[in-house]
Amino acid sequence: MKFRRLCLALSLFGVALGAQADSLRVITHSSFEVSKPLLADFEKQTGIQVELIKAGDAGEMLNKLILTRANPIADVVFGLDNSLAGKAEEAGVIAPSTLKSDGRKARYSLPGGLVSTDYGYVTLVYDKAWFAKHNLPLPKSLADLTLPAYRDLLVVENPATSSPGQAFLFSTIHAMGEERAFAFWRKLRGNGVKVVKDWGIAYNTDFSHNGGGRPIVLSYATDPAAEVAFSKVKITESPVGTLPLPGAVYQQIEGAGLIQGGHERAAAEKFIAFLRSKPVQQDLQTQMWMYPVMQGTPLAPVFSFAKEPAAHQTPSAQEIRAKGQDWVKRWTQVVLK
Amino acid sequence: MRSTRVLALLPLALLLSLAGAPLARLMAEGAGTLSPAFLFDPYYRWRLLWSFTQALATCALALLFGLPIAWALARFDFPGRRWLMRLMMLPFVMPTLVAAMGVLALFGPEGVTGVMGQDTPWLLLYGNLFYNLPLLVRSAQEGFARLPASRIMAARTLGASPWRVFWRIELPGALPWVCSALCLVFLYCFSGFGLALILGGQRYATVEVEIYTLVAYELNLGDASALALTVLAITGLAALGYAWLERILARPLRGMALPRSAPTGWRQYALLALAMGLTAMLALAPLAAIAWRALWAGAAWQALADPEVWGALANTARFTALALAGACVFGLAHAFAMRRSVLLGTLAFLPYALSPICVAFGLLLLYPGLSASLVLLIGAYTLLAYPFIARGLAASLDAVPAHLPQAARTLGASPWRLTWRLLLPLAAPALRRGMAFAAATALGEFAVTLFLSRPEWMTLTTLIYQRLGRPGAMNQDSALVLSCLLMLLAMLAFVLIEWQREEARDAGGR
Repeated sequence: MKFRRLCLALSLFGVALGAQADSLRVITHSSFEVSKPLLADFEKQTGIQVELIKAGDAGEMLNKLILTRANPIADVVFGLDNSLAGKAEEAGVIAPSTLKSDGRKARYSLPGGLVSTDYGYVTLVYDKAWFAKHNLPLPKSLADLTLPAYRDLLVVENPATSSPGQAFLFSTIHAMGEERAFAFWRKLRGNGVKVVKDWGIAYNTDFSHNGGGRPIVLSYATDPAAEVAFSKVKITESPVGTLPLPGAVYQQIEGAGLIQGGHERAAAEKFIAFLRSKPVQQDLQTQMWMYPVMQGTPLAPVFSFAKEPAAHQTPSAQEIRAKGQDWVKRWTQVVLK
Repeated sequence: MRSTRVLALLPLALLLSLAGAPLARLMAEGAGTLSPAFLFDPYYRWRLLWSFTQALATCALALLFGLPIAWALARFDFPGRRWLMRLMMLPFVMPTLVAAMGVLALFGPEGVTGVMGQDTPWLLLYGNLFYNLPLLVRSAQEGFARLPASRIMAARTLGASPWRVFWRIELPGALPWVCSALCLVFLYCFSGFGLALILGGQRYATVEVEIYTLVAYELNLGDASALALTVLAITGLAALGYAWLERILARPLRGMALPRSAPTGWRQYALLALAMGLTAMLALAPLAAIAWRALWAGAAWQALADPEVWGALANTARFTALALAGACVFGLAHAFAMRRSVLLGTLAFLPYALSPICVAFGLLLLYPGLSASLVLLIGAYTLLAYPFIARGLAASLDAVPAHLPQAARTLGASPWRLTWRLLLPLAAPALRRGMAFAAATALGEFAVTLFLSRPEWMTLTTLIYQRLGRPGAMNQDSALVLSCLLMLLAMLAFVLIEWQREEARDAGGR
């Protein structure tokens, strides 16, 4: 009986797997990427074994941290941003870091004991080929998107389930004020805005550049550069462009922090310093498509395709902490229900 | 028989520690806010109602399309019949992610058919059918095939038309088989998560997806628990119905079955063509679409040279092997324990009836130290994979005629010897098929891997998910190529384990 022998072999193989050593537990959102050699170098130099745990979207990750705060599942967190910093502080999941500066300055900082590591912009992105083919001028303001000419052209992510979706909602409120912003959203709903669960669906399925039906998508300001880098053939102009309209640019500052009740404090601090080190600041640009937060870090050449927006409309972390949840609830009422 | 019930402790411990306790733990966390008020929220009501409707609609469609296929397979002998039977099994071993990619490759953006199915309920229904049609066909086919020839012959002699024979004799005779399959179809569709997450969109997602949103993004544990309990109650009823029907079906055969014959006349040929056409359209087209689009992906095939892909492949193989070993142990124990027990049979469905997201979050709360440990990951894989072995094996053990073990005992065989030399060899085909399903489940599992994941444990499914989440045509194409690879792997697992089966049991095996 072959399968009996197979079963026996399989179970022996199972027993052969050993236990694991103590190490630094790092929890990140699922978009976290750092080049493997860099991480290996860090482990070799510091003698710290890094155990990475990917916990889904940033909001989902924070909820896991809040739920398990009595008995934390990690020692250090990467990927909380200015939208979530307030909630994290309120829930008391972050322990203040005592990281010393190495002389270099950070462009932006985060409240609530978080250490900023990178930043980027959530904004509208359009399909250049589509607009050229349909001979339609680009919208000049967010209000234009509620006009019949731009009917059924926009796809956005749901603020309740996606960080960029939430960012866009916040930036419209910051630019227009709450009442006018929700009036705008109501009109947008009437003009056929499509709402999807997460960024991947919006960008890769619904965006016309990737075969979908919507030539304007809520995404990131670095997309034009990423499109050039990931193109199948070498190109000299990006097929997509950004629409940094007033009320549609949100500055996202990401950072790392020690987890309240976590172990391995010293190692955790070293890991945060590692994230701010020159090689990682250089590396994260084309790994995560974010800008380095440390001043004096040279930009990757491909970033010449992604101009940093001149202005942004981002509410303060305090304001988001106070009203963010209510805004999202109200948005769900206005746009979805 | 009584002594084998002790074996139930093993799977019960697994169910309790990895499914029951985590769920209870999460609900305890949200107990303060748990209230029946959610039933009055029109939004949740719509979610529940839609979940129910899409499950029922899938049942109806599976019946409509499945019965002609099943009847043709049960009555006609034709070249390629065996192949068709085997191809019908393919969807069942396909990972959810591959199925969803296949449906999107057909009806999504830049789909092969050019038809856009997005934002319609049809996408999800088609995906549901892809998975569940084979289930109904195989079960109904068996029901038709087992019908005593004498009854059909008598009706024909008395002058009944083929239609009349079908409606009055064959369909009522096969009804228990059909109903048991429908219970399963309903259960899988109602508690479905992966397909609905990808194909349902904002509007046509199921209640499981809503629970996911409530827990993961809103931390609204009260409403999530209430919904999860509702799902559990409804799927529990379906599982109970299935287990009860299975007991009826375990009765031994009476009378000779009708031999299959070559089709004659244009009507029979037309029916056969219809059956083949339906199978191709519903069960094979999504897979063909993936293969077709992957073929044209060109440069994306270089992705296979990426060491990351090889690492993921190795992990996939490792986890599948470990989960398969675990599934065999727990599956065997549960199968021997649950023989002729409706309750234990129903419990084998618990892993599907529970909301995966509630269980995953409950696991984090219950075992924070193990949140990213291999033990927990393999445990979760095993939990999802072992019922396939348990159920198939139990049905096969129930079908062993009582006089065989009695004879062996009379001849002095010990219970161990009896199991090893008689029962296991008799149930070997069912065990193999269960192992094929279990392996396929572990291969394609992505819900658990997403929650309890570490980067160095990247599997093919998580890699595909990661590529889908990145911008650029290159990443999308490589996701497609990797899906094709995963599809081939699932087929390989299927062929390796299932193919050696003797053909003699083709009509009777399930």
